[in-house]
Amino acid sequence: MSINHKKTRPVYINLFKIKLPVSAISSITHRLAGIYIFFITLPISLYLLYFSTRSYNDFVTLENNLNNSVYLSTFVAFSLLVFIYHVLTGVRHLLQDIHIGESLSASRFSSYIVFAIWFLLIIFVLFELF
Amino acid sequence: MMGSTLFFIQRFSALFLLGYSLWIMTFVFLNQPLEFTAWQIFTNQLEFLILTTLVAFISILHAYIGLWTVGTDYFTSRTLGFLHPELAKYANLIRGIYTLIFCIVGLLIIFIILLTIWS
Repeated sequence: MSINHKKTRPVYINLFKIKLPVSAISSITHRLAGIYIFFITLPISLYLLYFSTRSYNDFVTLENNLNNSVYLSTFVAFSLLVFIYHVLTGVRHLLQDIHIGESLSASRFSSYIVFAIWFLLIIFVLFELF
Repeated sequence: MMGSTLFFIQRFSALFLLGYSLWIMTFVFLNQPLEFTAWQIFTNQLEFLILTTLVAFISILHAYIGLWTVGTDYFTSRTLGFLHPELAKYANLIRGIYTLIFCIVGLLIIFIILLTIWS
């Protein structure tokens, strides 16, 4: 009995068996956004800073590239939106660290608020892009 | 290093980076459409150079703590074994490679930021 019992015990965590509440989703996406920012948004910001400050010609070329290529401008806008998402969820975490909105209901509510603000920003950026 | 020290470094660096981001975003939004001369004056002022130098180091410090936390949370034999039991054996190696990669990328980013703004 005990041997069989041991055999069926899981050794590794099955991530698909864990059902995440909304506040945990905002927490894990905050982490994912952080990874994205480090490996993609930060290098893109550097690319923008480098070419926008190098010379007048480079500035205009960069401006034209962004205006002419939908892919490039969408990519840049998406990367900045991911950064803003990280900031929004980050501010939520910071407020919870100073004991604001710590309760279960407040935490759920603030997650939805953060999602709502971010979706409004996405719509705003889409209007600006197209 | 004490866990609480890491906790406070992460929070205070976040506040600093938040302030810096708001400063840059406010400038860009107030100067629409952005002209080269205004942008050049803004990025050549001493405040920008000093704050961006600080941001180069603080953002990589913030990223290091964050990425290290993610690595020790998810690149372990317990979680990698879920993907494939064979992977669990190499968890420490995989986490080491991941740490090495983000350290190199981080140092490279600091170097390029400093080179870009001070030249």
